[in-house]
Amino acid sequence: MERSSSLEKAIRGILITAVLLFFLFPIFWIFLMSFQTNEDILRIPPSLFFEPTLQNYSALLTGKLETAAGSLDIAFMRNLGNSLLLSTFSVLLSLALGVPAAYAFARFKFRLGENIAFTLLSFRFAPPLLVLLPLSLFFKQLGLTDTYIGLIWVYQLICLPLILWIVRGYFEDISPDIENAYRIAGHSWWRTFRRIAIPLARPGIAAAGLLAFIFAWNNFIFALILASASKQPVTVGALAFVTASGIQYGQIAAAIVLSVTPTLLLALYAQRYLVEGLSLGAVKG
Amino acid sequence: MFEKGHDLAAAFVRKQIGRRELIQRAGQLGLGVAATSFLVAQAMGQAMAADFDWKKYSGTKLKLLLNKHPYVDAMVADLENFKMLTGMDVSYDVFPEDVYFDKVTAALSSGSSEYDAFMTGAYMTWTYGPAGWIEDLNAYIKDPAKTNPNYDWEDVLPGLRASTAWNGVPGGELGSADAKQWCIPWGYELNNLSYNQKIFDKVGVEPPKNLEDMVGVAAKLTKDAGGPYGVGVRGSRSWASIHPGFLSGYSNYGQRDFTVTDGKLKAAMNTAESKAYHKLWVQMIQESGPKNWSTYTWYQVGTDLGAGASAMIFDADILGYFMNGGDNKEKGNIHYAPFAANPAATAPTPNVWIWSLAMSSFSAQKDAAWYFMQWASSVEHDLFGARKMDFVNPVRASVWKDEEFRGRIDKSYPGYLNQHDASAPGAKIYFTAQPLFFDLTTQWAETLQKMVAKEVPIDEGLDQLAASVDKQLEDAGLGG
Repeated sequence: MERSSSLEKAIRGILITAVLLFFLFPIFWIFLMSFQTNEDILRIPPSLFFEPTLQNYSALLTGKLETAAGSLDIAFMRNLGNSLLLSTFSVLLSLALGVPAAYAFARFKFRLGENIAFTLLSFRFAPPLLVLLPLSLFFKQLGLTDTYIGLIWVYQLICLPLILWIVRGYFEDISPDIENAYRIAGHSWWRTFRRIAIPLARPGIAAAGLLAFIFAWNNFIFALILASASKQPVTVGALAFVTASGIQYGQIAAAIVLSVTPTLLLALYAQRYLVEGLSLGAVKG
Repeated sequence: MFEKGHDLAAAFVRKQIGRRELIQRAGQLGLGVAATSFLVAQAMGQAMAADFDWKKYSGTKLKLLLNKHPYVDAMVADLENFKMLTGMDVSYDVFPEDVYFDKVTAALSSGSSEYDAFMTGAYMTWTYGPAGWIEDLNAYIKDPAKTNPNYDWEDVLPGLRASTAWNGVPGGELGSADAKQWCIPWGYELNNLSYNQKIFDKVGVEPPKNLEDMVGVAAKLTKDAGGPYGVGVRGSRSWASIHPGFLSGYSNYGQRDFTVTDGKLKAAMNTAESKAYHKLWVQMIQESGPKNWSTYTWYQVGTDLGAGASAMIFDADILGYFMNGGDNKEKGNIHYAPFAANPAATAPTPNVWIWSLAMSSFSAQKDAAWYFMQWASSVEHDLFGARKMDFVNPVRASVWKDEEFRGRIDKSYPGYLNQHDASAPGAKIYFTAQPLFFDLTTQWAETLQKMVAKEVPIDEGLDQLAASVDKQLEDAGLGG
């Protein structure tokens, strides 16, 4: 029994290692690339051994890359800042609008309720390019072209439906009896929402917020069409290393590492929070 | 002192000294920035045109939409001179090439007045022009009140002037008498051989003289070079795989994409000569092309040459030029040669890509925008970019005669001048101008992929392609 268990453990260990290698090797390779020069990266055959350089990171951070071909201006840190700003504020706005709306859709039956909820979801169906041209005309008339506010507004097309529908499901899963009990004790609807409903749905809100942040972070078409070069996110900025005169693989790798870091940190943080929230519920039964 | 300042400014305008030296020497003469700027602007005004009012739109603010490219780097490095010359201010948005044309199309189709002028390729103007999004620049070039007398439009290589002018009629000849000048050539590339001399020496081969020769040389290189493959060409499912080496060789056999009879287009890719050409091309890729050929774009073809993974490329000459510099491993080993695919041809007939400047029809300041465009395509700026920056290939005949430019190229890029000089007379766009250009040419690339993958025999594949193209032309009212 014990022997089969240790065999089982060994096989499981090997399989987990294989899966991890398969999924993590590209990320590991990119991480290594970010410390190499273009010449090292393009060596034939590729090698794990090289003289590490911080040149790629310093070029991104200082905004200037000095190569034998000349000096290259890099606006990457600005792009990174734009991504942080757009994604953060878009998710915050979506949470502020989406969580109360999700609660309303989950708890109350009202006229056209399902239609409204479905309409909001349908924003996710529309191909972005199809809505962007009319939108750019509206933006021009409203003076919102090339503004952060305009972009955050448009990003609601990505974030709001996600948050609304995910959080709605969480609210529906929570028994209304707890809220009713709290209401009977004389508390207002608003207080019940804040003190009972939101804390109970917090894992769902965190998951939805995280997902919306990642979707917003990965988007590039909205800012590309509706804003000038100075307001482009990191997804557009990273393409600047692909030029007619060559591809700066080292900078691309460093840019990937830097641009993945915020979402990775957020995911790690939210994951701990999620596990904590869910396991607490499980222990309490 | 003031006279010395004049001489100094004149030397700067003639590009004999750089900006840093100008400031340094002006400082030694006790001239401040304002005084130096004044002298430079004065010298420039005298140099460019004594009887042209460059200051007419002083105070105007222009905005440009640009692609991230060495041509733009050269323009930006020289932009202060334009500002001083005209008193105008210029701002610009630079976007990566991968998304650049999405941005241009969105800006134009939404009627945005944000950008006054922008970079484009000639093929794109076949869409933008008939849609009414860009201006016919003949109205500006031919108006002496709008164009400075030293502009010398005739100095721009004739094949390029013609290739950027179209009358808007599907199948209409480029550069015809009734053609509209949709854009101004700015910098261009033609397609020839760039090869790694070190690998060629090792294997003991010479640059091939024609396509049959290339098939043999590439196979020998693949076999004997000890790693690198023989020849790099593009292969992704895109119109951009057809337009460089492939079409340059194709047109050298006198083959066309379409025949035009009474204004009606008919596919011409399935002639006996075309089939023979396709057979050679497909054989070359199967025997000596890159392993992942069907994913190859400009970037992979260039990177392989620069990294020593391929022995030669039949692609844009400036791609080979870029791979001979920067931090490429094979820097200094790349040589260049003209290439006529057809053994019976007397000279190469390269198809060209022309980065050009076009004017948005939605610009609220078109005349001022034209001031920028004529400056950016002037002899002076072309010369500056060609001598000091990577503004290759220049589009003006006079710049190709400039000794300083030729000396710089000859020193570091062996054979480059020869390949260009031998090919420039026949360099132009060999595609037929028509609105379905991108769709139909992409389908051609797709068919080529199937042939290389042996999914379809060459004769059959080309007959199917021609039938499908004819059907689409007919549906669009272009065929008959």
